[in-house]
Amino acid sequence: MLGYLLRKLLHSLLLILGVTLVSFALMVYFGPDQTYKLLGKSASTEHIQEIRQQLGYDRPFIRRYGEYLGDLFTLQLGASNSNGEAVSDILKRTLPVTLALLVPGFILGNVLGVALGLLAAWHRNRWIDRIISSASIAGMSTSFLIIIIVLQVVLCTPYGLNLFPARGWQVTGLASYLNYVTVPSLSLVLITLGYNTRFFRAIFLEESGREHIRAARAFGASPAQLMGRHVLKNSLPPLLTRVLFSIPLVIVSGSLLLETYFGIPGMGKITFDAITNGDQPVLKAVVGLTAIMFVMVQALAGMSYRLIDPRVS
Amino acid sequence: MDGAPVNLDPAQASDLYTKFLVVNLYDTLYRYKYLARPYELEPNLAEDLPQVSPDGLLYTFRIKPGVRFIDDEAFPDGNGRLLQAEDFVYSIKRHFDPATRAQGAWLWQGRIVGLDEWKANGAHYDEEISGLRAVDDRTIQIQLIAPFPQLTHTLAQGFAAIVPREAVDYYGREFAIHPVGSGPFRLSRFDSAGASLLRNEDFRAEPFSLQEEGYNPITQGAFGLESLEGKILPLVDRVDIEFIAEDAARWTTFNAGQLDFIKVPVSQFDQVLKNRNPPQLVDELAGRYHLLTSLESGFVYTVFNMDDSRIGYHPDPDQAVRNRALRCAIIKAFDWKRRNEIFYSGLGKVFPGVIPPLTPEYDPGQDRNSVTRDVADAVSLLNNFGWNPENLPTLEYGLPSSVTERQMFEQFRSFMSAVGYPQEKIRPLTFATYGDYARAYINREVMLITSAWTMDYPDAENTVQLFFGPNATPGTNTANYNNAEFNRLYRASSSMQASPLRTAVFHKMNRIVIDDCVAISGISRTLVMLWNRNVAMLPDREFVGGYFFRFVGVTDTTDREH
Amino acid sequence: MNSAPLPPLDLRIATAMTSRVLSAPASRVWPRLRRDHAGLAGFGLVGLFGLIALGAALGLAGQDWSIASGGRWEPASTMHWFGTNVLGQDIFQRSIHSVRLAFEIGLIVALASTAIGTLTGALAGWHADSWADDAVVFVTGVLDSIPFYLFVAAVAFALKGNPWSMHIAMVATFWTTTSRLIRAEVMRLKQRDFVQAALAMGMPVSLVLSRHVVPNTIHILLAQAAIVFVAAIKSEVILSFLGLGVQNGVSWGLMLAESTQEVLAGQFNNLLAASIPLFLLLFGFNLMVDALQNALDPRQELG
Repeated sequence: MLGYLLRKLLHSLLLILGVTLVSFALMVYFGPDQTYKLLGKSASTEHIQEIRQQLGYDRPFIRRYGEYLGDLFTLQLGASNSNGEAVSDILKRTLPVTLALLVPGFILGNVLGVALGLLAAWHRNRWIDRIISSASIAGMSTSFLIIIIVLQVVLCTPYGLNLFPARGWQVTGLASYLNYVTVPSLSLVLITLGYNTRFFRAIFLEESGREHIRAARAFGASPAQLMGRHVLKNSLPPLLTRVLFSIPLVIVSGSLLLETYFGIPGMGKITFDAITNGDQPVLKAVVGLTAIMFVMVQALAGMSYRLIDPRVS
Repeated sequence: MDGAPVNLDPAQASDLYTKFLVVNLYDTLYRYKYLARPYELEPNLAEDLPQVSPDGLLYTFRIKPGVRFIDDEAFPDGNGRLLQAEDFVYSIKRHFDPATRAQGAWLWQGRIVGLDEWKANGAHYDEEISGLRAVDDRTIQIQLIAPFPQLTHTLAQGFAAIVPREAVDYYGREFAIHPVGSGPFRLSRFDSAGASLLRNEDFRAEPFSLQEEGYNPITQGAFGLESLEGKILPLVDRVDIEFIAEDAARWTTFNAGQLDFIKVPVSQFDQVLKNRNPPQLVDELAGRYHLLTSLESGFVYTVFNMDDSRIGYHPDPDQAVRNRALRCAIIKAFDWKRRNEIFYSGLGKVFPGVIPPLTPEYDPGQDRNSVTRDVADAVSLLNNFGWNPENLPTLEYGLPSSVTERQMFEQFRSFMSAVGYPQEKIRPLTFATYGDYARAYINREVMLITSAWTMDYPDAENTVQLFFGPNATPGTNTANYNNAEFNRLYRASSSMQASPLRTAVFHKMNRIVIDDCVAISGISRTLVMLWNRNVAMLPDREFVGGYFFRFVGVTDTTDREH
Repeated sequence: MNSAPLPPLDLRIATAMTSRVLSAPASRVWPRLRRDHAGLAGFGLVGLFGLIALGAALGLAGQDWSIASGGRWEPASTMHWFGTNVLGQDIFQRSIHSVRLAFEIGLIVALASTAIGTLTGALAGWHADSWADDAVVFVTGVLDSIPFYLFVAAVAFALKGNPWSMHIAMVATFWTTTSRLIRAEVMRLKQRDFVQAALAMGMPVSLVLSRHVVPNTIHILLAQAAIVFVAAIKSEVILSFLGLGVQNGVSWGLMLAESTQEVLAGQFNNLLAASIPLFLLLFGFNLMVDALQNALDPRQELG
């Protein structure tokens, strides 16, 4: 066991190195040259050279990558090249916003998915199941963008119900939080619900096909007992693993789209801005931390799955 | 606001949104009169307009007494200190210190005695510069290398805002988000979503004088400004600004009653205006809002990269002539009327050449051939000079990636197809951000460059310099145009004060640019602004926007801006 | 366990969890498919769109998508079935052209990523626990740890305006799932009797792979290819919206990006003309994939 854990750790470290190398090469080395954004209206060749040198573009790749790794592991994240704010401050400011934005929708999306999946699996192949299944396929077939646009038109504009603000994040208390988080959360739920329901339904179906469930049903156990106690409990390993796995993905990609569209100052938006601007310190920090997070989650999920489900070799 | 400032360092106040905030948090020596149109300079921190020596080389300024910086922990005891002439000198020096990454140096580069040498010598702040001195606590002297009639205008720019050295040293890079100034407001909040300005209680107490600001009761009487006469500036306690770049979202927020002021997005012009001439609001808005339509102090234009031998200068004189014919044909094929209708709701003002309507030197009588579409003429130009679909060059049209820019490109392509330009030979060169686009055209990689120029001061010198040979990229002359006669005229005019004689020279230069078919130019956009009737103000974003905040009066206790 | 169709984000989750994919003998699959009405409907939809795309590619329809033939924002009429956009371009024509583009992107990305995934997966699975296997697994791990949209944005920059940058970025991300699935299946198949027998008889490895192993993974390939097709189209929509996707031309993503500005002025034609076909095509595909996977799962009861 210890040997396995050590191997896993080494493997993860190697992965992190690989990820940072690729990300650094792509996003920082080949990324946009921020010099021109910092130039202003009129520039001289000398001015351009100065800025390039300050931003470090004239140094060789190995040296820049080496410095990057060093900074990352000593957590010296530096300050943004765009506005001088310390990167650690930026992260402290934006991460809570992103979490506040995504957590309600994420939880709701999964809870509803489980509920609908259970319902569908129980009434397998009957009309409830067919409706739920078709609806989830429909959900999976709708582009995320369309869901967001339509929700915004329906809920936030005079052409629809005009109940919520179209964008922004002026959160000062619970009421304003609910005001701003509702439409994005609803979008997140609708985006993920189709996939979630489908996946969970499949898991529950597999579980409920097992011998002991059929036996329990024959003995007259009630639906609630069956689904709740046996099926749900036994499905927990793959279920939880799936939820766990989806966290980093939802945080990064979900936050990017929702924050850009709804103008919410969270991590996704500043990451995207940093990528398109070439703001190196911010990019490096986000890339590095995301890499670590992804790799850790994958390692943890893989390990836990192995531990909980003895059937997997 | 329809955009967000990236940071609030005056050294980086190159875009409109940054300027807006900087001029309210800091003091500049000069500003523009609130109400006078055409725009006139007005002393801000300075006591009066400068004393200029007869040879035009020595400027003397005196600053008002008793001006203080706000309290901030950067100062030794936390109390803001008196502002002194030396602070102005320091603020300008900053632009020439590489560590500042300033964007405003070009205003004064090569103009002030000793400044460039100071930079070359290592930019030590304790070193004196002979041409930029604080004679005493309140007197500044600037010695120019050559006459520079626009110098005073440059001192009204956001770049010329005065910053205290203590704050820059204390905050380092973070000074950009932690402003310490002496302006009418202080900053209480700033992030990517918005900013809040609070009245600076220590601001020098100056009363609002309608007459001083150039009030015109006939054109400006409806805005309720008379009730504010005599009150102490700034007139409002707090201004909340939201940065909403997306038109759709901004309009929705305004419609929901969450904003008091908005620059109306073009897509809403039809819904908002009942009439165009004269502009009038639709009835359900007229009762609640004031309306102002005004021309921008800038213009949108497209230049050909003359450095590209496929379309510009060519070593073979015959080919050069053919290239010119091609350029002229493209200009003739461009349909300004339709461009105006579709993208500016017909409210933009199309004008020939490069001297836009809002400059004093604008000539309304100039012939409009270069902006009137003539397909037959274009076709005959192409035929007469041996151009046909096979030998026409592939046009590479540069654009930063956005829905509107892409639509403008497709419209350009359809204009050209009417004169037989094959569609496959007109290609978009898209860039993910404007910075990327700038990199490409600065490196002369783009054939057709469309951009907007915002003027820095109300003087046509600011626009004709866009075609001055030595200003070629990486300077502002993105066309890389180099015409000997034009250059000669520019040099001659640069030391002349504004006068009918100089205006005539500018007109001559304008005609040279038009004749050489260097640019498809241009259109000045019209801004439509709406604001709540309980807010008494005349909003303005031209040249250096934002000075009007201190004059905004409200019947509520707060004011929320676009 | 049945691996249900997943969004591009979750492709990796699915594979990490499903180390076993079940298959049914071919003789039982076909009748099952025929009985699945939903699947047939999906197939029909996809076929219909495929024909449209083909027609557009051959120059039979949707050619005039960039010609400004009408006025600004004209409503639907007999001349312009969906009206015109702000420039006067026919929205219906633009939508037809977008079908072609969607198929182009989907096919290229699906084929390329499936090919790469199969090759690497087979290699890794056959030589399990060798350095080749470790290398492949490592690379897939690295690529899976980079957030998708950030990766694509970065590739788009690195390739500086190359019209294929979006395709390359998508292929570079999507091949990993196929590779993992194929690897697992190949590892399984290698233990099977008929493969061992072939090897014992002295058949060269390459022949064993191409004749016995890979053909038995076709079901995985087909399902994955379809999933990637869907993922590619959906990704293109978002990428074009962000300005990183299609640069020259029209696609549903660009039409939707246009529509975000127009819905405020009450113009919904772009939105409708882009969302409805997009939805129908994806719906059809998803039904097909569903049917395919149901048919291939031997534990499903018939009917």
